[in-house]
Parts: sequence; C-alpha cells; structure tokens
Amino acid sequence: MSLFWIVIRQLAEIEAMATSKKVITKEEWEKKLNDVKIRKEDMNKLVMNFLVTEGYVDAAEKFRLESGTEPDIDLATITDRMAVKKAVQSGNVEDAIEKVNDLNPEILDTNPQLFFHLQQQRLIELIRNGKVEEALEFAQEELAPRGEENQSFLEELEKTVALLAFEDVSNCPVGELLDISQRLKTASEVNAAILTSQSHEKDPKLPSLLKMLIWAQNQLDEKAAYPRINDLSTAKLEDPAV
Amino acid sequence: MPTPASPSASASSSHRRASSDLMVRIGSADSEIKLRALRELKNQIIGNRTKKLFFLKLGAVPAVSCALAEAQAQAQAQAQADLLVQSAAALGSFACGFDAGVRAVLDSGAFANLVALLSFPDDKVVDAGARSLRMIYQSKLAPKYDFLQEENMEFLLSLLNSENETVTGLGASIIIHSCETVVEQKALCHAGVLKKLTSLLEGSPSQKDASLESLATIIKKNPEAASKFVSESRRALSSVTDLSKDRNPRTRLLACMCLIVIRNTSPCYLQDIGIKTKLVYLLLELLDDPGQVGEEASFAFSSLLAQKEDLQKLAFEAKAIDKLHNHLQKHLLQPRRYQGILLALAELCSKLESCRSRFLSLEVLNLVTDALTHEVADVRTAACICLRSVSRSIKSLSAGHFMKEMIVIPLVRLLHDPSTSVQVAALGAVSNIVVDFTTAKSTFLQCGGLKLLVQLSKSMDPILRLNALWGLRNLMFLADNTCKEGIFLELTAPSLSSLICDPEPFVQEQALALVRNLVDGCLDSIEYVFAEDGIILDAIGRQLQSASKAEIGIQGMYVLSNIASGNEFHKEAVMHQLLLQVNNGTQAFILKFLQSNDSQLRTAAIWTIINLTFPSSPGASSRVVKLRNAGIVSQIKTMVNDPCVDVKLRVRTALGQFMTIGDSST
Repeated sequence: MSLFWIVIRQLAEIEAMATSKKVITKEEWEKKLNDVKIRKEDMNKLVMNFLVTEGYVDAAEKFRLESGTEPDIDLATITDRMAVKKAVQSGNVEDAIEKVNDLNPEILDTNPQLFFHLQQQRLIELIRNGKVEEALEFAQEELAPRGEENQSFLEELEKTVALLAFEDVSNCPVGELLDISQRLKTASEVNAAILTSQSHEKDPKLPSLLKMLIWAQNQLDEKAAYPRINDLSTAKLEDPAV
Repeated sequence: MPTPASPSASASSSHRRASSDLMVRIGSADSEIKLRALRELKNQIIGNRTKKLFFLKLGAVPAVSCALAEAQAQAQAQAQADLLVQSAAALGSFACGFDAGVRAVLDSGAFANLVALLSFPDDKVVDAGARSLRMIYQSKLAPKYDFLQEENMEFLLSLLNSENETVTGLGASIIIHSCETVVEQKALCHAGVLKKLTSLLEGSPSQKDASLESLATIIKKNPEAASKFVSESRRALSSVTDLSKDRNPRTRLLACMCLIVIRNTSPCYLQDIGIKTKLVYLLLELLDDPGQVGEEASFAFSSLLAQKEDLQKLAFEAKAIDKLHNHLQKHLLQPRRYQGILLALAELCSKLESCRSRFLSLEVLNLVTDALTHEVADVRTAACICLRSVSRSIKSLSAGHFMKEMIVIPLVRLLHDPSTSVQVAALGAVSNIVVDFTTAKSTFLQCGGLKLLVQLSKSMDPILRLNALWGLRNLMFLADNTCKEGIFLELTAPSLSSLICDPEPFVQEQALALVRNLVDGCLDSIEYVFAEDGIILDAIGRQLQSASKAEIGIQGMYVLSNIASGNEFHKEAVMHQLLLQVNNGTQAFILKFLQSNDSQLRTAAIWTIINLTFPSSPGASSRVVKLRNAGIVSQIKTMVNDPCVDVKLRVRTALGQFMTIGDSST
C-alpha cells in the first residue's frame, strides 16, 4: 500500500473520531425498547382508529369482537359513509348527495366548496355519458348560480364545460377531469367532510405516527448509529452501520 | 357563459312544472307520497341558495311547516319519525345562512314545533329538531332568548347537559345569539354556565368550538365574568390556551378569539410576552386558511392589535405588514377577507411610524387605492380607514405621498357614495390627506373635492357634518390665502355661522376649529369673520356664552385670540364680544373660562387677553381699563400660581403687560 493511501485512511479515522457518533448495539437498543411500556389497549385503539377512519367496517367489527376495543364512533355510520364514498367512486353522484343529506343535512349546506365539487362531478358524469343537452341544462340551472356567488367556482365551471368543446376529450387540456382520479378526489373530499361532521379526525392517526418515527430517526441519525427501521412494513431493526 | 337561450327557457318551464308538482305532493294525504316529496325538496334546496329562494316564493315553507305540525299528531311511530326528520331538515335548510328563509320559517309558526321535537324519544328526531333550531339561532333574526326567566335558564342548562352533541351545540348557539347585556352575562355566570362550558372544553371537537365561542360571548367586556372564569378552575385558562394549539384551525381561531376577549376585558391577564407573541404568530398563520377561518382571523388580529402599541410592535417584528401585503396581492379576494386584511393593516399603521414606512416601502398603498373602487361597500370603507391610518404619518404627508390624483380622485368620488359609512370613512381619510404640508392643496380642489365637502357639511346626518367639517378644517390648516378664499366662498358666511350654532356640540366644536384655522395667519384672513356684518363673530359670541363643553370654549377662545392678534378694529370687536354680557348683567364667559377646571381652556382664555393688551397697540390702555372694570384683571391676578405651568407663564405675561400699560398711562 502506498504511503498516500495510508495517510488518507488515517485522516478518515481522525475525522471519524472527531465527529464520533455514539454507537448503540442491537442488544442495548432492544433492552431500551423493552423498558418502554406501551399498553396493549392503546395499540388496539390505534388499529381501531385506522379501521374506522378508512372505513373498513367488517374488519372493525371483527376486531371489536376479538380485541374488545370499542370504536369511538357508531359502526353503522361507517357503512353509511362508505356507501356515499362508493356512490361517488362509481359515478352515482346524485345518489351520494341524497345519502349525505340523510346523514346530516348540514354538511352540504355549510360547505359550499364541497357542494360545488359534487355538482361539478355530476356534470362531469353527464358529459362522460354523452348527455350533452342535459349537461348544458344542468350547468346552467345548478352550477352557473354557484359561479356567480364565487369567482373561483366560475373558473372551475368554465374548465369543466370546456370538455364539451373537444371531440377527443382524452387528449384535451382539461381531459384529466374525466379521469378516475377526479372521482377519487371528490370521494375523499366527501369522506373527510362526513368524518369532520361526526367530530372525528379526518385522517387516521397511524400514518402520522409513522411520519413522526421517520422524523425522529432522521434526527437521531445525526447523533448516533443505532438499529434503524428501514422497512416500515416489517419494522425490522437493522444492525447499526459502524 | 354563452349558452343558447331557447333550451334554457324550455328547461326552466319544465323545471317550474316539476316544482309545482312537488308542492302538490307535499300537501298529499298519503304519508308515503308526502315523505318522498319532503325528502326531494330537502335534497333540492340543500347547498343551493337559488333553489331556496325559488321554493320560498312558491310558498314551500308554510307547506313544510304544516307537514311538521301534522306529523306530530301522527300515530304510527316510524312513519311519524321519518316525516318529522324530513320536514325539520327541510326547514333547517331554508334557515341555513339565508335570512329570508329564517324569516319565513319563523312566520310559519314552526319554531314551537321544532322546540317540541327536542323532547321526543327518538334520537334522530331530537337531532333533526336541534339542528334546525341551531340554524335559526345562527341568524340575527332568531327570537331573543330571555335568560332572565328561571324556566328558560333551566331549559338552557338541560340543553347544555344533554348527551346529544347537537343539543349541546344548540345550547351554545342560543348563548352566542342572545347574550348581549351585562345582566344576561351575570345571570349565565350565576347559573353555573361558565363551569359547564369549561367542562365542554374537554369534549368533542364541535363541543370545544361551541364552548369557546360561548365563553367569549359571556366574558366580553365583563371583567367580573373574566375573573370568575379564570379563578373558578385552575385548568380553565390553560385549557383555552392549549386549544390554541389544536389540530383543527377553526378551534385554534376560536381559542385565540377567546383569549383576546379575556385580555381585552381584563388587561391583567395574559400579559406575558410569550402568550402575546404566540397570539400574533398564530393569527398570522391562520390567515393562510383558504376558508372562513382565514377570513375571520384577520378580524381577530385587528381586535388583538386595537389600541395596543406593544402588540403592534410585536406584529411588526413578525413581519405582519409583509404577510398582509402578500394576501392583498392574491387574485379574487372574497370581500370579507379583503375587508379584514385592510382593517388589520389600518390597525397596524394606526400608531407606529415604523409600520407606516414599511407599508409605503412595500407599495401596499397602490393595492389599497384599488380597493377604494371595489363594488362592496364594506371593502371601500375598510380601504378608507386604512388610508386614514397610514396618512397619520407627518413624514409621508410632508413628502406628498398622498396628494396624488390616483388616490384623491377615487377618494373624492367616495364622498358621494350611496353608503353613509363609506362617506364617513372617506371623510376621515380626506381629513388627514388634505393637511398636506408641501404642495398646493390644488389637486384636491381641482377634482371637485371642496364642493363635495361643503355639500356634506350641510348633510342631515350629524356624523357626516362632523367629518366634512373636519376635512374642511384640515384643508384650511396652513393654507395660503387663495385657498382660504376658495373655501370661504364655497362655504359662505351664513352657513358657517349656522354650523357654529349647530344643534350637535361636536359639530359646533369642529366649526369653531375650522374658523380658528381660517383666521390664523395674516391680517387679511381675519377679515373673513367680519363678512356680512360679522355674523360669524356674533355666532361665536353666542355659542361661547352657552358653551356646553370645554372643547367648544377652547376652540372659540382660540378664534377670538387669533382675531385679537389683528389690528385695532379687530381687537375692539373681540372686546365687544367679551364685554357684551357684562353690560347685560350676566357673568362674562371669559370669567367663566378663566375659572374653568380645564387648563387648556384657561390657557386659551388668557391668550386672548394677552393679544388684546399688547402694549405697543394704541388702544391697549383703554382696553385694560375696561377689563379691570369688568373684574377680569383681578381674576387674572388670582391666577399667578396656577397649577398648570403653561397657564402660569401666560398669566405672568399678561400681568407684565398690564403693569407696562399702567406705568405708561400714569
């Protein structure tokens, strides 16, 4: 080995010592983890919160029976909420609106933006099905007055009506409105509004906990080498890279 | 939107047919048909203002109200519940954010029936009733709830204690709507409502919001309620503070508003710099919310800053002007948001020069000028208030930042705005801007501003008269003689003298202040008060004799003092006014003023005497004799040790002059 390389390696070692990070072995780490007591009920609540918020009603029911965890919301309302979501996702917007109004008439009355987006989705479905006459009539009767009330609605309305002007809608600048993702966007907006009206958080807690975990690991990376979780789906502790 | 006309016509006629068919079905005797019709109506009107109005005109509200009343008599339980829920929901939707709908629901007599729903066994019925009543209570038109009646208070407590969230929400809405006076606030405190609301701060998200808003209503401007709330439970205040960190932006906003109310009511709370800074940053962050929360945040921000220089300084350091400026630059601002941002800027620039110069260097002025021509009156008003606030800066006035056609022309146009509040606000801005120390005030005169001000000074509305005179007074301030002449010719001596005798004291004061500026300066300008046989001077004399408040005396005496600085003729005219009453046998107003508790008034009075007895003027010694005979000289002698230094100094000057004159005359 040339002298040059020896010098380089020594320099690297000195530098490593200067910024020397604390190294925590897997055993030490696991011992520390074992000292942290997390109540099983809290974990169960977290799972239930996820199932309820995401609308997995059957799983929530089974989990309730198996774990004895009570959901913080009437499970029947999940079924109703999912029915609304599904109706929007499959393009039955009118049906979805009626269902929301049965659940709580206040939601659409006090949320003009959501109401507009649902009506806009209705218009999109009419255009998708080639019902030009009906679409124009609907735009004029139902949507134009909303546009008068709110300038940004008017712009969105104009964009939607523009769909009628193109022969090949799949290739036009506003074509994305006909995309399935537009339905999903509207559906999730309704879902969130219903959850809020039920005094429920509109996002499950689990994903934000995971985000916090990633943040905490990044912070820790600067100070120590430790058994990191790299794969969130397995939560496997990796050996610290020294 | 360009759509062909014919299909729309046919559409709306078919639409009309379907609607009247729906109305028929609502009146059907078959409860199955009726139920379906009610649900259909509900689904048509929810979220749709146009439809609400349309069905309102078709008479839908009384029809639904009738269905509700009938359903209450229905025997079969399930059918009854469904009909009740659908009709209550439809009525609630008519009342949601739509005052005409609220009025129709109240007129239809449905209110009592909705209240009756609250005691039904079926939860869905209770929910529907409570929700509709809450909609009604969110409108100003809702009937006032009388908390002072015992059974009403008990009912309210039963609502707040309910297990049903919608019902507790209704209880809160009633408080927010109807609690206005201190007596009502006290009654609610006494009944233990504060405690109940404090416990709801730990409840569900909607209960938190409802509780925060109700607490603010009960505590507002009532120090007793504030201290009861803070002292009753140690957790109370910290719960509210914690909620200012809630995940839900609306909850954060309401918590901030509650804290601001507590602080504005009892300044002893929430004084530490930490919480003040936090409130500033929180509200600035909430401004970014695209919805109603963002709109309301600017108003909360204004109330946080109002009259508080320390908070304005914190806001300045938090770059509030820059942030508000960014918001103002956005496209398509909703009128309420626009108004709120302008008012917040106005509050920020109301005291601190640092804020004003940041405002000017960012060129926010251009954006505010644009707002002067906005179609919504509240936005125009807010723009004027903002301009007034910024133009308090003497530095920028001297630099002539405001006397520009771009600002003056739209501002003058607002002087004949159809809305009085816009006119008053515009006058406020004009008053500051016309002070202008540098350029001729011609820009304002050229665009017809003077004519309008004079017109408004004759308005039937005393507030308009007041503010118009204020504008004229400032326009007159240090104006050159041409400008003064222009104003005087437009205003005329008779109307000026009738303004001096206006029925409203605050108008009298402004009119006198205007004359004071008019006769300030060269000899020529004093001549104005002698026009038309001196009707102005006579009016001043009369007004001073009957002056109802010190401020009138002060302005009037400075007018006389300015006149007395003129030639012999001028001085004698003032003497005549001073001694008029002595000859009538009543106490002279000058004596009254010299004995006043108000040191400013004493100063003004003594200045007049000094100007009258200036030793080098030929008639001075004869005037001193007259003043001595009227007992004025001896009054002044008693004032050598006046507690006010300013008065003391002037008294000594006057006495010195009397001595000099006495020496030379003997």
